[in-house]
Amino acid sequence: MKAVRRVDQFYLLKQLPKATALLCKKGILIDASSSWLDIFGLPPQNNDHQIKVFPLYADIPDLKKKLKENKSFSLRHKISNHNGTGHFKSHFAPWFDEKENVIGTIIQTDNITAEVEKEQQVEWLQNILETKVEVSKTGWWEFETATQKLTWCQETKRIHQVPDCFEPTTVEAIEFYKPGYSRNKVSMLFHKAIENQQSYDTNLMIITFNGEERWVRVTGKPYVENGNTIKVFGTIRDIHDEVMAENKVKEHQQLLSTLVDSLPLNVYVKDLESRKVLINKGESNYINKSKEEIIGKNDFDLYNEDTAKISREEDIQVMKHLTPIIGKETAITHNGKTTHFLTSKIPYFDLDGKVCGLIGMSLDISSIKKKECELRDLIKITSMQNQKLIGFAHIVSHNLRSHSANFSMLLEFLKSENDPTERERITKMLSQASDNLLETLENLNQVVDVNTNTSVTKKPLFLKHNIVKVLQNFSAFLNKNDSQIINHVAEDIKVECVPAYLDSIILNLISNAVKYRSPNRKPLIIINAVKSKEGVLLSISDNGLGIDLEKYGDKIFGMYKTFHNKEDSKGFGLYLVKNQIEAMGGSITVQSDVDRGTTFNVYFNEES
Amino acid sequence: MKKVSCIFIVDDDPITVFGIKKMLKSVTKCDDVQIFQNGKEAYDALLERHKSNKTIPDVIFLDINMPIMDGWDFLDELITLDLKEHIIINMITSSIDPLDHQKWSNFKDRCPYILNFKNKPIFKIEATDLGLMDMAS
Repeated sequence: MKAVRRVDQFYLLKQLPKATALLCKKGILIDASSSWLDIFGLPPQNNDHQIKVFPLYADIPDLKKKLKENKSFSLRHKISNHNGTGHFKSHFAPWFDEKENVIGTIIQTDNITAEVEKEQQVEWLQNILETKVEVSKTGWWEFETATQKLTWCQETKRIHQVPDCFEPTTVEAIEFYKPGYSRNKVSMLFHKAIENQQSYDTNLMIITFNGEERWVRVTGKPYVENGNTIKVFGTIRDIHDEVMAENKVKEHQQLLSTLVDSLPLNVYVKDLESRKVLINKGESNYINKSKEEIIGKNDFDLYNEDTAKISREEDIQVMKHLTPIIGKETAITHNGKTTHFLTSKIPYFDLDGKVCGLIGMSLDISSIKKKECELRDLIKITSMQNQKLIGFAHIVSHNLRSHSANFSMLLEFLKSENDPTERERITKMLSQASDNLLETLENLNQVVDVNTNTSVTKKPLFLKHNIVKVLQNFSAFLNKNDSQIINHVAEDIKVECVPAYLDSIILNLISNAVKYRSPNRKPLIIINAVKSKEGVLLSISDNGLGIDLEKYGDKIFGMYKTFHNKEDSKGFGLYLVKNQIEAMGGSITVQSDVDRGTTFNVYFNEES
Repeated sequence: MKKVSCIFIVDDDPITVFGIKKMLKSVTKCDDVQIFQNGKEAYDALLERHKSNKTIPDVIFLDINMPIMDGWDFLDELITLDLKEHIIINMITSSIDPLDHQKWSNFKDRCPYILNFKNKPIFKIEATDLGLMDMAS
């Protein structure tokens, strides 16, 4: 076997993989590994020129002094060459001879550029994190289960409004939460994070060091190793302003929706396609569908086509021309029921001021409308009655006045009259005037009776029976005039009537028919009655003189209006008849042809 | 006493007619006083006189409320007749209806004759109602 040849120790040094150099005590390079020389950019060594080591560590000015201490030490330094700057770490150790005398220094140098760069990156990341914390106002905290140590970051402290030097205990940290819900909740969650390894993320309220109540969002996440919770890490963020803003928005929404829902109006918002995007309770109650069923539907889906068409046209007008419709009266038939609305539609603009639909409001005015109709009817009745009253008042004043005027005149004559025959004549006239006055008063009384005795009760009466009874009562008069009467009225027809009025109506109409007979014909009177839904129609036709209705039409039922020169015409019968019929809620009309005959139609109103 | 040639009294109330006649007696002397129960009778008589060139009445006493043809209708017909003669018409009524007064006022503007409006009771007929002016006064 051949023994390994001893290699020259310096040559060995040259080959060392770790960059190593040897210095003499003066700091002059004795020899170095190729790798060391490479690092410092030095050529391979010979003994020709001595290289001092200090300039190589230019950034470490006190190296000389340190070497003299003959102790091991490490230091970081930089070397710049054409490739850039590298980071290095050199370890210096005293070099001993066999006798433990220091003969120089051993240097070992490592390239730590990668490490330094990593450190810088970590530092950079730390920076970013801090900036993030600052911007997001999210602090972090950490709890170590083993040591029970709780750590707060700067931001967390800021959120709690405690000084930077404050170091909290777990109990203290929990006591920052508002007593009650927040404190109970955070205790429970923290406990569960440790025991059950559950993460949490919730909004709670803290009372800061300065006594301010603030909303925070707090999270916690357990770190588990071998089934044990080692740490709990979490974040905390001040969300007070957001919560407050959100609450404010919610409050506004609540106010708005309560307001809109409680309005006694049907409110709806439509988009440009006239689809309903928002409705209130009134509207959904009216359509009789839930809000969910209505939203997104247009009027064609909800109403009949005619109604929908009108509505859509209104919508287009509002959205296209931006002219609101205010208080338009509309009638909408929905589910077979017509409702009257007072409708307003106004354009709805988005935040950019562009029209995006419309807001509609409809007030149900059906009951008002109904009352209006009733009122109108009432006014009609009242004004009719008023008219009648004025007419009556004039009649009264005129007729009474005419008699009183006659009295005055005759009495005046009497005063200055000496001739006894003339006096007697005047006295006769006075008593005649008195009779006339009495008769007028009697007539007026009758009319007043008819119009005031509204309490006179109506009874169901057989029409035919009553007609026959009246005809019997004045059969003598009828026979004298050779009148023929044909009574077509069916036995079973009944009318709701005041008995005395019915007799008066029949008597007056039949006696008129005979009274105004034609001298050329025998009187022929035909009586008919038809029953219909509205009531009973009684017709009494004659073949008498007739009357020019174009001339006298409006006067025929007037008081003291007569149209024929007949001794017994007083102009009162038809006036009384009309009053009696109207008092019972019926009506009377007349048709006539001169010299052919007249027909009176009496409508008995069955309802009232 | 001044004379009037012809007077028409158109009224359906015999007492009024009696009164007018009686009062006339004390103002004038007239041999031709005609009584009519309504406007139609009076108009027919007037027309007849007009056609046959007989005396047209100088004075007409006219009631308003009468059967068949009332005072207003009579006036309407009279105006359309367009008589050249001078006529004084005295409307005599117990009506105090302002409408009647208004109607009279309208007629007065349209009517080519003198149209007076007298409310009952009347106690005396003035000479002016008959168009008899006392020239001396």
